Amino acid sequence: MSASPIARQAAQPQGQAIPRRILINDASQLPHDYSSTPNGTLYSTTPGGTKIIYDRNFLLQMRNSPVARTPPKNLPVIPGVTCDSPHKEKEKSKLINGQKNVTAQHKPVELPTVEVEKVEDKKQEEPQFEMDI
Amino acid sequence: MAADMEEVAQTEQTQPSVATQGEGETEETSVDADMLIKHPLQNQWTLWFFKPDRAKGWEENLREVICFDTIEDFWSTHNHIKSASELSAGCDYSLFKAGIKPMWEDPRNKNGGRWLINLDKKQRSSELDNYWLEVILCLIGEAFEESSEDICGAVVNIRPKGDKLSIWTADCTNRDGIMKIGQKLKESLGITTRGSIVYEAHNDSMKKSGSVAKFRYTV
Repeated sequence: MSASPIARQAAQPQGQAIPRRILINDASQLPHDYSSTPNGTLYSTTPGGTKIIYDRNFLLQMRNSPVARTPPKNLPVIPGVTCDSPHKEKEKSKLINGQKNVTAQHKPVELPTVEVEKVEDKKQEEPQFEMDI
Repeated sequence: MAADMEEVAQTEQTQPSVATQGEGETEETSVDADMLIKHPLQNQWTLWFFKPDRAKGWEENLREVICFDTIEDFWSTHNHIKSASELSAGCDYSLFKAGIKPMWEDPRNKNGGRWLINLDKKQRSSELDNYWLEVILCLIGEAFEESSEDICGAVVNIRPKGDKLSIWTADCTNRDGIMKIGQKLKESLGITTRGSIVYEAHNDSMKKSGSVAKFRYTV
């Protein structure tokens, strides 16, 4: 895979010479590759100007980009969309308890909300213990 | 859940292979270059979520999830939200160009219509999520080329009787644009049956008496 035009642009921070003005008197004087896309299908010329076009495979390749591995910072919490809906969470925790291979990673998420509240209550009631620093 | 773990496994597998591939090859730098930057999209897109609640009005049930304008921000959202098939019955996802609301009444939609694909119940588990992703990729990648200007957005409706997938366009009289979009849509989804996708004008859908509006075009 070769870099997309956008990545190549980003990778060349050094300045470029301002191109000389060339007077074209006839269409035959135009370079043979005038207005063609140098490296693939990402750019194409359209009547309204340059349009940023990405083909399906390129978009799919970017799926595992490091930037895409974490949710966006401004993603709101919407039950049923960004997290389980309360109803579904119950069903899921039942299922998980019935399964043998529960990874530690998933456990905290699957804790029924009631239990979490209890733990928090206890914390408030019990006297604080000293910490070794 | 299973899908999550699969994804993790996939990422773990791909990482070392990229590293070994890079040894002594110039290709490595180009792969990295694309992985380090965000790629701007032609348009900014808004993802909407609709959840039916009879106590509230239709528009109140419509909620903006997020706006994005790069490939990476799209994936970052898509990788961390429920897939369409996991939504509850009656819910919708809509993806529209920023500034256009996913409703007939929006000035950019009111003279438009939609290419509609009716899915049968079985297709929720087999096809729905793939179809929705293919539609999104066509939208954000501007796959409809010059007809991309006509695109307003796309909607997936999760319904007990059968889910629906639609692409909304701005002008129901722009036959050429609509036909190009319809053909590209069908091709992207790998649908070969003739007449399986129909175009309805929003105006006709509003006035419909039965459950089916008359359709103006088909591919």
